[in-house]
Amino acid sequence: MKKHIKILVFCLLVPFVWAGCKKDFPIDEDGLLITNRGECYVSSFELLGSDFQTVRSKAAVIDTTAQTINVEVFFGTDLKNLYPQFSLVTDAKLDPKIVGRVDFSDLSNPKTYTVISGNRKVKKPYTVIITVQK
Amino acid sequence: MQNKYFINITFLLAIILLLNACKEEEYAIPETKDALQNDVIKRTLGPNLVGQRIEFAYAMAVPRTRGKLVSAQVEASIEGATGTFLENRSFYTNGSGQDVGVKIGEPSATEGKITKVSFTTDTTAATLRYYYVIPEAARGQTVTFNFTANSSNGETVTYAMGPYQISKMDMKLDLAVRDGAASYISIADMAVYTAANAAANADKIDLVYLHRTTPASFAHSLVSPAADPQYLPGITLPAGVNKSTKVSKAFGLRDQQLARLQFGIFIDDLDFQELNLADAPNFAINMRAESGVWVETADGKYRAYIFVNSVNNTNKSAVISIKRFTLQ
Repeated sequence: MKKHIKILVFCLLVPFVWAGCKKDFPIDEDGLLITNRGECYVSSFELLGSDFQTVRSKAAVIDTTAQTINVEVFFGTDLKNLYPQFSLVTDAKLDPKIVGRVDFSDLSNPKTYTVISGNRKVKKPYTVIITVQK
Repeated sequence: MQNKYFINITFLLAIILLLNACKEEEYAIPETKDALQNDVIKRTLGPNLVGQRIEFAYAMAVPRTRGKLVSAQVEASIEGATGTFLENRSFYTNGSGQDVGVKIGEPSATEGKITKVSFTTDTTAATLRYYYVIPEAARGQTVTFNFTANSSNGETVTYAMGPYQISKMDMKLDLAVRDGAASYISIADMAVYTAANAAANADKIDLVYLHRTTPASFAHSLVSPAADPQYLPGITLPAGVNKSTKVSKAFGLRDQQLARLQFGIFIDDLDFQELNLADAPNFAINMRAESGVWVETADGKYRAYIFVNSVNNTNKSAVISIKRFTLQ
């Protein structure tokens, strides 16, 4: 009987030891996986009004070299209550995070969002330049 | 020794399982209760608004051997407004889905809180609809109902329904607004005024309806009189019309009582209580049919939801419906 228990304990211990030796995947302060990807860009951009409908009059122009996003919004858009949506390259993340409505009403001081690559080594600030349709 | 016990227990368990499996449950027609019985369902959904109806279906039946139905009555805890009645017809649904009424007595008589129907036909079962028109006195209160049926053998059954909360909201449906004509909207009056009438009610005008074709995204708009003049092109406001009303656009919020469409969405008192329009603008440009705006008046007295039922680009007009909640 003792022999049986010994074998059982040993069997249970082996996976623990094995798991303990395995190298953990690195995660960042947000609990997101840090990968090997170095790409760092915005692939598409959307801007929604308080009614969750788009306020863009046409597709946003994303310049990955100049690191700007030019977006024209409809006449009469409430710029104080907008929800921006960024689509980023795989594994990248955005700083600051978007947690709710954003005030874009100060057109002379456009907002800047930084894209951080999957390996967290490349950081590129993108400026969101809004113009209102006349 | 241990093994023996184990085998025995397993055997016993197997026998129990077998026995259960062999038992056959035979269907038996449920026996009717030998008494007068009743049941009620509430047919209307959503917030209970003053002036609107709450509809119930009251079913009652007595076994043929015990007699027939004599009378049915409903007692409301708060006297219903004019138009409250108990159907004198028992409805059934025919093969085409139509509700067909069979007359069982004279139309109901309402005395105070009690609405009563006396049966004149010899019947043992009936389902009567009860329509309670919510009176002004019930605003913000709860109301309960007692449904009672009597049979010829002296039996009486009662079914209590409620309590139901009566909303503090007001509702106004299908107000026609038109650019350059009836375009001044008052939340306080829940009405639409022309420029001439608006001058007379200047302190009550909260929004201006207008339609412009340029820019294309202007279209049907609800703009408060104090908004940036670029949102009121070509509008000369009547003297004294100067309120800054907060509005926030909403899309897909098709309240069933306002829209009367298939969507089961209801705006209730709580929505207005929790509404936060602190950062909202004072204009809503490019309103589309079946969209809406949350509104808070400049004096903070009312919050409202204006639903756009339909728009007409040619006539530069729209039909709107309003639900309003009084804050103070």
